[in-house]
Amino acid sequence: MTALTLAVADVHKQFRGATALAGAALRIEPGTLHGLIGPDGAGKTTLLRTLVGLLHPDRGTVVYQQDGRDVPLLVARPFIAYMPQQQSLYPDLSIQEHLEFFRDLYQIEYEAFAARARRLLRLTRLEDFKDRSAGHLSGGMYKKLGLMCALLPTPAALLLDEPTNGVDPISRREFWDLLYTLRDDGIAILIATAYMDEAERCDTVHLMEGGRIWSAGAPRRILAEEGASHFAELFVRRAAAGA
Amino acid sequence: MSGEARRFILGRALSIARKEVRHLSRDRVTLAMALGVPVGLVILFGYVLDYDVKRVGLLVIDRDQTRVSRSLVDVFAAADYFSPLALPPGATPLGRLEEGRAKAVLFIEPGFARATAKAQPARAQIVIDGSDNQTTSVIASYLSGLQNAASRSLVPDTGPPQARLRTRFLFNPELNSRWFVVTGLFVVVLGMVSVLLTALTVAREWETGSMERLLSTPVRPLEIIIGKLAPYMALCLGAVGLTYGAARLWFGIPFNGSHGTFLLACVLFLTCTLAQGLLISVVTRQQQLAMQFSNLTGLLPATLLSGFVFPIESMPVFFRYLTVLLPARWFVVACRGIFLKGAGIADLALPLGALAVLGVGLVALAVKKFKTDVEP
Repeated sequence: MTALTLAVADVHKQFRGATALAGAALRIEPGTLHGLIGPDGAGKTTLLRTLVGLLHPDRGTVVYQQDGRDVPLLVARPFIAYMPQQQSLYPDLSIQEHLEFFRDLYQIEYEAFAARARRLLRLTRLEDFKDRSAGHLSGGMYKKLGLMCALLPTPAALLLDEPTNGVDPISRREFWDLLYTLRDDGIAILIATAYMDEAERCDTVHLMEGGRIWSAGAPRRILAEEGASHFAELFVRRAAAGA
Repeated sequence: MSGEARRFILGRALSIARKEVRHLSRDRVTLAMALGVPVGLVILFGYVLDYDVKRVGLLVIDRDQTRVSRSLVDVFAAADYFSPLALPPGATPLGRLEEGRAKAVLFIEPGFARATAKAQPARAQIVIDGSDNQTTSVIASYLSGLQNAASRSLVPDTGPPQARLRTRFLFNPELNSRWFVVTGLFVVVLGMVSVLLTALTVAREWETGSMERLLSTPVRPLEIIIGKLAPYMALCLGAVGLTYGAARLWFGIPFNGSHGTFLLACVLFLTCTLAQGLLISVVTRQQQLAMQFSNLTGLLPATLLSGFVFPIESMPVFFRYLTVLLPARWFVVACRGIFLKGAGIADLALPLGALAVLGVGLVALAVKKFKTDVEP
């Protein structure tokens, strides 16, 4: 399996004078699960879009290392799976039709596709719903389908933008179990979320605000260093200090 | 690897095409618009846009009241173009014209019969309502023909046969305006619908958010453009078949050319209009805006500048040159040539060549303008 490392350094981005990224930096290694934690408007989506090549930084570098060698985005892109924050599936297409569509986009051999689709349907527990159209899926099922489409080409890096928004607690737990399985398969995972409690589930968290990552490390270590019991407290304290 | 990532892969274009087919097969409104609207509009406007003026109300003021003057009225009545009317008591000829109850008045002066018997100039006058210059021009053209017929029937033939100039009209011997109108309508309606169909397809993906995910996959802009063009091309060719059937069976329009040439012209024209729709969609990225742009750039120029309504030769120089860039202008020439004149590929080298160049140019422009990022 291809190993992919993604890194950004001192990345800046402005939209019509408004700062979205102000020197953000992070590095995602294969087989690790990173969380990008921050309130709305912190710059999480902009950073994810920059990593996947959908936005171009005004300043700074984005590096893709495939099996230890620097490669351009065009080479790395087939190995990067991205799940946008907004609804991005086709409501009239069924789960099976979505999988077939992404199979063709990624030019996956039929036998490999059949095996992967079976595994993903089993992992997401959507085997019994594969003929149901995306427009008729529950919020959790919809997110799982989005994840399945991203995972079908067996990516080396997975970028997820608020994938558990609007998902019920049981589906969220299933979702995280699925992410741990993928991490153990060697995939580099970066998940952006505004749910502070999800930060503690990651191997490494990057706390983000105002387009800058102000702290990064293992969740327990950060909480211990900052003397906080949970991440929401950290952000509230920071907001109060800023005010 | 880098080269492979950049090159066009047919399988990816086909995956886009297959997805579009699935959307289309479930979208009855779009299917009805693509297949039903062209046929419906051609049949509807084929009747409405009839330049032939028939049974024009002709008010007859016969002040001669002789057999000869009545013969003159009969000449008008015999042709299907006029419907002689008597002046009701208390009404005036001008009043009847103002009320629109008559379009023309035929005044026959006293002594009309006497003058014709002596082979002297006989006086009759026709006054035409000039407020509608379209109808007036047609009536005036009828009158010049009827004047000759009247002279032959009323004035005794005294001399030896004289040389006569006969006019024959090729390709449309009876000058049936419906043949002219329906072949032009075919172009306008097909162009309008096809531009609109693709104008919405990319914009919809931007609005629903699916484009962001699509752009994060290895798919290339050319693959998306080709994948989106192909199903709509097939759909529009279905509409061509239905509209062709309506033109031939409903209106009896002759088809003197080759079906192969016609198919080639349709494919070239549809490539232009579908690519034009995609270009609009790619640039606007909003369905509402795309719809307005497609009406503005599709329907209006095709109607006004294609030669369908107004002859290109009589347009100001700037507009004559501007029409060169309009696919509809070339398809009107090709359609009328194939349907009515039986023109072949060699005869239509210029319009077909122009359509091919415009088609390639529009596809290339749509690919070039296709954004591969989500930058505002």
